[in-house]
Amino acid sequence: MAEQVAFHHIEKTSLIGKRIKKPDAPAKATGKTRYINDMVLPGMLYGKILHAGRPHAEIISIDTSATEKLAGVHLVITAKDIPDLKLGFVKDNAPLKDKVRCERDEVAAVAAETEAIAAAAIKLIRVEYKDLPGVFSAEDGLKDGAPVIQERFPDNKSLRFTFKHGDLEKAETGSDIILDDSFNVHYVTHCCMGTSCAIADFDHNGRLTIYSQTQYPYNYKMDLAPALGIDPGDIRVIQPPTGGSFGAKLDIYPFEPVAAILAQKTGRPVKIIFDRQEEFINSPTRQPARIHLRSGCTKDGVLTFRAADVLMDNGAYTSWGPTVPVIMMRTVSGHYRVPVVDFVGQAVYSNNAYAGSFRGYGNVQMTYATAQHMDMLAEKLAEEYNLDPIDFRLKNAQKSGEVTPQKSFLRECALAECLTTAAQATDYVAKLNKYSTEREQPGRYKHGIGLASSIHNAGGAKIHKSDGCGTILKMDDYARVTVITGATEIGQGIDAVIGQIVAEELGVPPEHVTLVNDDSDLGPWDVGVHASRTTFIAGNGARRAAIKAKEQILAAASKRANVAANALDLRGGYVVQDKDGAVVTKLDKMLRQMHFQPEPDVVMVSDYYEPNSEPEGRDHISDHSAAYAHAVHIAEVVVDTLTGEVKLEKITMAQDVGRVINRMGLEAQMEGGVAFGIGFALSEEMLFEQGHLKNPSFRDYKVPTAPDMPEIEMHFIESDCAEGPYGAKGIAELPTIVIAPAIANAVYNATGIRFFNPPMTPEKVARAIWEKKQR
Amino acid sequence: MEMSEIEKYVAPLAVQEAVRILAAGAVTIVAGGTDLTPQINEGRRVYAPTLMNIRRIDQLSRISVDGDNIRIGSLATVAEIRDNELIKDHAAILCQTASHFASEQIRNAATVGGNICNASPAGDMIIPLLVLRAEVELARWQDGAMTVRRVALDQFFTGPGKTVRRDDELLTAVVFKRPSADFIGQFRKSGPRPALEISTVSVGIGGDIKAGRFSNVRVAFGAVGPTPLCGKQTEAALEAKILDHDVIQAAVHAAQQDASPIDDIRATEWYRNHLIGVFTEELLNNVCQN
Ligand SMILES: Cc1cc2nc3c(=O)[nH]c(=O)nc-3n(C[C@H](O)[C@H](O)[C@H](O)COP(=O)(O)OP(=O)(O)OC[C@H]3O[C@@H](n4cnc5c(N)ncnc54)[C@H](O)[C@@H]3O)c2cc1C
Repeated sequence: MAEQVAFHHIEKTSLIGKRIKKPDAPAKATGKTRYINDMVLPGMLYGKILHAGRPHAEIISIDTSATEKLAGVHLVITAKDIPDLKLGFVKDNAPLKDKVRCERDEVAAVAAETEAIAAAAIKLIRVEYKDLPGVFSAEDGLKDGAPVIQERFPDNKSLRFTFKHGDLEKAETGSDIILDDSFNVHYVTHCCMGTSCAIADFDHNGRLTIYSQTQYPYNYKMDLAPALGIDPGDIRVIQPPTGGSFGAKLDIYPFEPVAAILAQKTGRPVKIIFDRQEEFINSPTRQPARIHLRSGCTKDGVLTFRAADVLMDNGAYTSWGPTVPVIMMRTVSGHYRVPVVDFVGQAVYSNNAYAGSFRGYGNVQMTYATAQHMDMLAEKLAEEYNLDPIDFRLKNAQKSGEVTPQKSFLRECALAECLTTAAQATDYVAKLNKYSTEREQPGRYKHGIGLASSIHNAGGAKIHKSDGCGTILKMDDYARVTVITGATEIGQGIDAVIGQIVAEELGVPPEHVTLVNDDSDLGPWDVGVHASRTTFIAGNGARRAAIKAKEQILAAASKRANVAANALDLRGGYVVQDKDGAVVTKLDKMLRQMHFQPEPDVVMVSDYYEPNSEPEGRDHISDHSAAYAHAVHIAEVVVDTLTGEVKLEKITMAQDVGRVINRMGLEAQMEGGVAFGIGFALSEEMLFEQGHLKNPSFRDYKVPTAPDMPEIEMHFIESDCAEGPYGAKGIAELPTIVIAPAIANAVYNATGIRFFNPPMTPEKVARAIWEKKQR
Repeated sequence: MEMSEIEKYVAPLAVQEAVRILAAGAVTIVAGGTDLTPQINEGRRVYAPTLMNIRRIDQLSRISVDGDNIRIGSLATVAEIRDNELIKDHAAILCQTASHFASEQIRNAATVGGNICNASPAGDMIIPLLVLRAEVELARWQDGAMTVRRVALDQFFTGPGKTVRRDDELLTAVVFKRPSADFIGQFRKSGPRPALEISTVSVGIGGDIKAGRFSNVRVAFGAVGPTPLCGKQTEAALEAKILDHDVIQAAVHAAQQDASPIDDIRATEWYRNHLIGVFTEELLNNVCQN
């Protein structure tokens, strides 16, 4: 093919590591985005749920007669109307309840013409309760004669997880230092800016379309179907833009089947949307935990064992919360080289709120304990055996190729590099020593520096039978690319990353890649957005699909140009010679030529990427992620020893990201993740009193604000993960996991006081300092 | 959300018109709406049948000198007070307070009149105004004419959310005597974060400093009792004294006597008392340094 266009050359460039704008950012910043919360369907009714507002009670009677008479009310339902529908991890939950087990319990629901009528209608429902004595902590739930919360679990014991490795007794005998402490990790919640919302719509063939904020559309069908008594195949999930998820939408919660049931029974679309107070009371929390941790090491600074006994308040029902020990135990056994491990995690039913999954998934809780213990060991070793605190950590830091007791295979391990990078960037050891001397001197404001690290899965987590993701990719006659992926976008930025990866492979601008991922009837299966997996798994899938498309195009071009396909490349919208970039033909022209020929050749490929990880398994001995990564955070604080205010001056982080893909998205994930961790560490707390949430508003539940955010210095360590796309690893949970114990260690450095019960609120810090002075 | 009870919405342009509407009864006044709206949304309050927006009454936004007095119209926003040159020159304590108030968005909407009429014990602008010995002007329609009365701010509050303002009265302005050239005022509040914080405790101290002696002392506390309070014992401990270590310690002790804080979800009594002491000492040290 003697093309006339070969008058220029296109150099090989790469988008990987560049800053790629999130395609939906302008619309979100200007308010143009139509979130699910904004959606209105023709003929739509508003659903509203009556919550019990009391923690434990029998329901004696429900009188809905006044509600039914209110003009504009279409339907009122109670548990009687929908018996036998179950949901939850152990199917201990129901869309509407016949007994009250926690404050949020859904007792009745209405569908009405307007939101205002629905709200008024709920108030007209008369319920007679008989209050029962309650259980308000895991400890109380275990007591003899404790009220039974779930009849199927008469001892109140919910899920239990154990892992043991090595001879604990021998390890204890061989230890020169043993720490034994109890950490109490509190309730926090996701605070998604978009409150929970679902819109359900049945067609006349009995098929449900549900507009949802879910982060796992495919298994969502499987979970929703038994709560409705329909076949999962009869559910279509549509995911309009959502105002945040962070794990909160990794399960179904009663409002979703309730919306669907109201829609089914009224024959109209039904929307349920929470106001902010409902959102606080009726959303999942992070799993609280009482972590009894023991750690040992020799006087040479070699870790000998770690033993964790974790007691979790399950709340009234079982969502993902009490399954977090699956990740907690990986931290106990894998956060540094731990030869002997003993882990027990027990969840106990209570009349409190119940937890779901939340960014960091158990690791936020566990690292708060292990990273403080590492700091305490480092201090003792420095004082008593003159060991440098960084050397101690380096000595126990795993290296590439090591395998943890649970068989996490650390193929590429950059913990040592993270440690030295962060320590050098901050002059850590010198400051640590200086501040610990200064804290004994007079003065109101005390400086502190604290280091923490952790490990997290960075290549998915095979807790389901597959951890894969499907991709369908097609190109049109104008060289525009459509990628239909199973990967969900909940604001994290997979839209930018897939555009970038596909553009990289096909030599087109990222803006020419359109993502379709909001409809379960179109998208191929994916396990969901969780476990820091999406760039890794869906990114690999998109890349593999793009490579297939490229091969198809180059094969066609090779025939026409009489050049071997492997001597060709796609760059800048052209087919070019690989060696010098000499233009062969325009890509869009090439695609049209392929298409409009006697035997049309249309670019339309698919891929299912399954990572090379192993299923978690009942014994928890498996290489359950395709990659693992470490991060080290160093927090520098100033503590006002009178008011107890902890001011974050600076955070320095070094994280093994495998390889930077979208630098802008990566930085944003670090900042957002750290903000979550700062809130958890310093100010956020759901205050429960006898099962009642006392602070269901942003006035009294304190998320960090812009002025709370310190400068963050980011060091990205590129360990080049063999399995990850371009070497990348999953990155999004570690920033939330590591920052809180770094702050706690810094506050210790400044004050000499350990805070085992976050959050470190001004009052708590001031009180502890004051009490220390009184002694 | 409550079903809306509003039957009529009015937005008068003049004070006279506003007070006549008030005289007809059953009116909810809205200024910036930053207290009212959340209270309605939380179901703590319901709208009266008439909703009156007073923001179009230009007259109420003015900040001016009126003889010996400084007059701040009730609609002056917290941001306007913070940025006003007159206030900066004569009553900088108001600017200091305003810059620790909420966030920029709220400061642009929140009015001083709303802050006072909402009568929260934690209302921030009230504290420096107590220190400045301000009075409020209340207008109403009476026997076919508008009448105005003045009430000293320290007599205005009767309980949380409660004041001596009659339902048919509009707060039109706060007025205080222009402080002397020797006046120095200081404000401090606390909460767990730097922005968007309802005070767990706030302290304002002001007085004239002359030859090292502190006189005409006024002390006010927020969030430590059912209303914003004046610290009479603290004032007595400081009046006409040289602010040395012992005097400051005596004032700290007196401040903790003046305050009667309670436990709530935002802070315990212990912490509020502790902060009263810390802030009183801190502010008096600042006074000394200036
Ligand atoms: C996010 C947020 C943060 C906040 N932070 C702070 C803070 O840091 N410090 C603080 O003190 N407050 C804070 N507030 C509370 C509030 O902003 C202030 O009290 C504000 O000054 C109220 O003024 P407004 O004009 O919005 O009042 P509105 O809400 O309009 O009115 C408040 C009340 O006063 C009545 N009213 C208003 N004007 C008059 C008038 N001229 N005559 C008679 N009655 C009247 C109304 O009927 C209503 O009852 C905050 C509020 C929010 C939402």
